[in-house]
Amino acid sequence: MTRLSQVGLPQFLAILALLAGAAVALPGIANPGIVFLAGLAVIEIVIALAFNFLFSTVGILSFGQAAFILVGAYGGAAAIKFAGLSLLPALLVAGLVAGLLALAIGVVALRRVEGVYFAVLTLAFASLAYLTVGKVAVLGREDGLTGITRPAVDLGIVEIPVVATTSFYYFIVAVGVVLTAVMWFATNSQFGRVLRAIRQDQERAGFLGVNVQGYRLAAFVLAGAVTGIAGALLGPWTQIVTPDLGHWIQSTKPILQAMLGGAGFFWGPVVGAILFAVLTYATRTLVGITEIVTGGLLLAIVLAIPGGLLGLTGSLLRMIRRERSR
Amino acid sequence: MVFDILAVVVNALTWAMATFLVAAGLTLMFGVLHILNFAHGGFLMLGAYVVFAVARSLGGELSFAGYLAFSVVAGLGVAVLGLVVDIVVFRRLRGVDNAYVLIATYALLLLVEGVVKHIWGAGSHLVSPPEVLIGAFFFGPIVIPYYSVFVIAAGVAVLFALEWFLHHSSPGKLVQAVAIDPWMATLLSVNVERIYSITIVIGFGLAGLAGGILAANQGLNPQLGGISIIQAFGAIIVGGMGSVRGAFLAAILLGLVDSFGTMLVPDFPGIFFYVALAAMLLVRPKGLIGAEVTR
Repeated sequence: MTRLSQVGLPQFLAILALLAGAAVALPGIANPGIVFLAGLAVIEIVIALAFNFLFSTVGILSFGQAAFILVGAYGGAAAIKFAGLSLLPALLVAGLVAGLLALAIGVVALRRVEGVYFAVLTLAFASLAYLTVGKVAVLGREDGLTGITRPAVDLGIVEIPVVATTSFYYFIVAVGVVLTAVMWFATNSQFGRVLRAIRQDQERAGFLGVNVQGYRLAAFVLAGAVTGIAGALLGPWTQIVTPDLGHWIQSTKPILQAMLGGAGFFWGPVVGAILFAVLTYATRTLVGITEIVTGGLLLAIVLAIPGGLLGLTGSLLRMIRRERSR
Repeated sequence: MVFDILAVVVNALTWAMATFLVAAGLTLMFGVLHILNFAHGGFLMLGAYVVFAVARSLGGELSFAGYLAFSVVAGLGVAVLGLVVDIVVFRRLRGVDNAYVLIATYALLLLVEGVVKHIWGAGSHLVSPPEVLIGAFFFGPIVIPYYSVFVIAAGVAVLFALEWFLHHSSPGKLVQAVAIDPWMATLLSVNVERIYSITIVIGFGLAGLAGGILAANQGLNPQLGGISIIQAFGAIIVGGMGSVRGAFLAAILLGLVDSFGTMLVPDFPGIFFYVALAAMLLVRPKGLIGAEVTR
């Protein structure tokens, strides 16, 4: 379970192209309601990837990722609504704000508290952000910011309008692809290998001259910024941001998705987020069944198949191969 | 002004004891098994809904004795569930990384929330307190609701009961021994697995009992489990994980900080709890009583 799948670059690009292709093909075959949910799912995939980067590569359990979704969403929405920025600068602002928040939390907390204490501390910080944002008049208190527009994507030479729902969906997919690539490189580059060394043994990594706290902080800030950028997509997509984006349910969702798919695999959170979206959609009319199914599945996975769905598929494939080679 | 402050103190103490009732079982389980049980709030909520269901089927009104009796029944029922959870979940996760256990208990919370939503619906319900607890008396110019007195008394009673159990009964002393050193306890022929089960059953029982007692404290809805667990996490972390007395003191401290904070800065209710929690964790990460041992 501690092994991150060592897929090479070609394999990564192939899978990414396949997923992106499926996402791009979706509006042609599905109704607008499903396309809307798919856009949300792409955003959740990025958030779950960032969580799992922290959990599986760095060895940090954060129960407060909602804080970064929240400040990213509000940062992006405010940049569009109040500053009139175009889309890409707005995403940058969101990443910056969320990254700074991660830096602040990381500087005070990462060094001092470990494991479960860190999890609860991040939960406290996220709740603080959630309650504070809900009381600020400029940010619309409990009602949030409404009527967030979808400004054009300004690439310098050309301006691409993304006001139509389908165009903005493609924009979400494009940003999702870029951020997924960022997380993959962070995981599989030398940076990621140092982080894994730290996770396995902080003390030994320190003896080898690695700046342990610096690397952990950098990873925490990167995950926070990526989560914030993903969160910033929510405002223009749903046209509203509310304090509920910072509710602790939003922090536990990526955990759930990563575990469902398989936290030990780079693609685990992606599989988990898609499965979660399908489950939520399939059980949407049955009150309480969503929680029973997801809770039950999560429990079954932690108890029986700690590798998640990808881990289960992997061991099934190995079993089949062994049978054949007999 | 003085009377305002006294009223705030009464308020803070009520909040503190409600929080301690939730935290008591939680900190006991953490001290012995090192499990931070997210599902504790869920099982508390289940206890509250049981009392609600009984009250509704009996026509809405329970006498004081009935209310207490059914709270105990809720506690016993949840304690039995605790045994089931121990066998099905916790036993299989002994020795597994703490992060996974935390996630498993979160899954349990989701499951309980789903069951509650499925049976009783996603909306809110109200449990009316027994008639003798409705109303308030005047202590000088301060209004003290009877229900507050009841909650405070229940909190203090649970503290004394747990303290007596841990320090003066022989199973309680075994629980302490296992909390301090399970390996040594095994050598002394203590059945550690059984002590673990007993602790879990007591912890869950306390959750169910607290749920019953607090059923009329607020409206019942499926979010109750998540809300109460975060407040209790705060109390047990500030108090020092695993310390019952610590949780008691921390609940009072957090209650006072939050109530006075809200009095001074009324625009931001509820925020000072998290400020105090974060500050406390940073200054003393191991809490007021800084050892992970049940004392």
